Amino acid sequence: MNRLVSAVVIVLLGLLVLSMSVFTVDQRQSAMVFQLGEVVRVVKEPGIKFKVPLLQSVRYFDRRILTMDAESPERFNTIEKKNVLVDSYVKWQVIDVEQYYKSVGGNERTASARLRKTVNDVLRAEFGKQTVQDVISGKRDEVMEIVGQVADADARKIGVHIVDVRLKRVDFPDDISNAVYERMISERKTVASQLRSEGSAEAEKIRADADRQREIIIADAFNKAQQLKGEGDGKAASIYGAAYGQNPEFYAFYRSLEAYKKTFKSKSDVMVLEPSSAFFKYMKDPRAK
Amino acid sequence: MSQDPQWGRRGKDGPPDLDEIIRQFTNKLKQFFGGKPGRPADAGPNPPHDGRAMAGGIGAVLGVVAVLWAASGFYVVDAREEAVVLRFGRYVQTTDPGLHWHMPWPIEQREIVKMSEVRSVEVGFQGSTKNRLPDESLMLTQDQNIIDMQLEVQYDIKDAKAFVFNNVADGDARDIVKQAAETSIREIVGRNKVDFVLNEGRGQVAADATRLIQNLLDSYGAGIRISRININDVQPPEEVQAAFADAVKAGQDKVKQTNDGTAYSNDVVPKARGNAARLLQEAEGYKRRVIAEAEGNASRFSQVVAEYSKAPQVTRDRMYLDTMQEIMSNSSKVLVDQKAGSGNLLYLPLDKLMQLSGPGPATAEIPAGGETPAVRLKSEAANRGDREGR
Repeated sequence: MNRLVSAVVIVLLGLLVLSMSVFTVDQRQSAMVFQLGEVVRVVKEPGIKFKVPLLQSVRYFDRRILTMDAESPERFNTIEKKNVLVDSYVKWQVIDVEQYYKSVGGNERTASARLRKTVNDVLRAEFGKQTVQDVISGKRDEVMEIVGQVADADARKIGVHIVDVRLKRVDFPDDISNAVYERMISERKTVASQLRSEGSAEAEKIRADADRQREIIIADAFNKAQQLKGEGDGKAASIYGAAYGQNPEFYAFYRSLEAYKKTFKSKSDVMVLEPSSAFFKYMKDPRAK
Repeated sequence: MSQDPQWGRRGKDGPPDLDEIIRQFTNKLKQFFGGKPGRPADAGPNPPHDGRAMAGGIGAVLGVVAVLWAASGFYVVDAREEAVVLRFGRYVQTTDPGLHWHMPWPIEQREIVKMSEVRSVEVGFQGSTKNRLPDESLMLTQDQNIIDMQLEVQYDIKDAKAFVFNNVADGDARDIVKQAAETSIREIVGRNKVDFVLNEGRGQVAADATRLIQNLLDSYGAGIRISRININDVQPPEEVQAAFADAVKAGQDKVKQTNDGTAYSNDVVPKARGNAARLLQEAEGYKRRVIAEAEGNASRFSQVVAEYSKAPQVTRDRMYLDTMQEIMSNSSKVLVDQKAGSGNLLYLPLDKLMQLSGPGPATAEIPAGGETPAVRLKSEAANRGDREGR
């Protein structure tokens, strides 16, 4: 019985000592082992580790990528002294645990504040060299790259690697935004009136072209028509000429008779005649010669 | 998909082999503590000599505890999930869907990650598209115009290990995706002109942004896959919408005006062609008619001439008389003696004559030498002797 109790006690004591001399390091963490305040070693490998119980203590640091996202946009000036509001975020990671601990006490907040200041300084300097156009589109990538590099160089002093600095938003402040809106409106008005006048010009062109075509078509047709008529008249003249040329004297007679017939054919045509005319020759004298 | 065979395999040799598992487990334990006697497992059978019943009782209790403890290592991974297993904090493996067992706490732990569950992040609005967030949705284009864009980024997890270990994130990594999406979409919009983004470029913008976000996330080792970006809405900001709408309307107006012009043209030109055709046809008709008439007349004349030349005088007289007869019988006549009329004025009631001759066919014979001198007669020695009076 006694032996059983003592065995249990020994086992419990053993477990206690074991739990004090063993620590685990998570995949997501690095650990630093202190011995009476002094840094003895840095553990980067995850897994089960041992330490001297009581004498040594362990501190853990996150080794994943952390994000620092500004709560409110910062105001920067570009080279043309335009104000822009810039919202950015910074991805960072602790790489030198010892340095990190010594510089900022391993405190994420302190480190964040420090990095924020660094990044803002670099951004301010970089924006001062660029135009609005560049920071919006042209050199956006480049700006982020440079800011990332410069800030990283500084951050390494506190054992931190800056993975990435990204400009989230680059916007104009409200007053400039309003001016932008006004410009956009005036641009649209220009476009609208241009479109409309283009439309009426186009329509006028089409109409004028149609009118031109109409004139040409009619004139051409008139031309051809006159030609045809002329041909007909000419042909007729030659036919008449050929026929009547056989006996011009008789033609005059024949044609005159035709004309008389055509001229006098209604009762309203009144003829006042002399009996001496040739027609009445026999009327006067049946023996006339 | 891969679930069934695994379940099958488990079904065959899983449940009956609990003892086997416990034996394996104790072996593993021994390995871990490097030959040290595994306390919990060996504690039962070790002191067998005194107080057999007591020891047996304790042993049984310990055994049950050990079995329960070992059983806590079982876990099920759903088809949509993967599990990351950590042994004393160190990553060991990623397990596929199915029933698995890992060594119980505190030796091994598991983290189950929902892989294919589609999550989404909204940029520019919250919940409903009506609920816009101007700070997020307003962005600058390359030509320094402002547009209002709302999008939704859908993503899932492609690498459980990377997802769990590389980034500090909330449960679904929403903040990481949202940050990447915001910076990417603005970068893409900032590279393009306002008209492109508003009109034909929507798809392009979405595709570019997808690529850029994916690159960023990969560079952070986030283990996240962007499956889709929906650009829910992209339009000019409220302040300028009226002007944009008017410009669009102007475009329509332009088309309308052009169409009106074309309509006019389509009306006028064919009509002109029609008129032209009519002119030509008429001319053609005229030509034919004139020629035909000429031929007819000519032929008629030619035949008469032919006969005439056989007996000129007789034909001539006959024709003359025929003609005169026709004329005389068809018209009104007044016969005036030359002697009575000569030098004197002769009056003829011409208006009466007209009235008489109009309706009635009768020939009015007016005696010569009337007392009413009205018409002055001019006698003319015409070659054929007939006269025209008026």
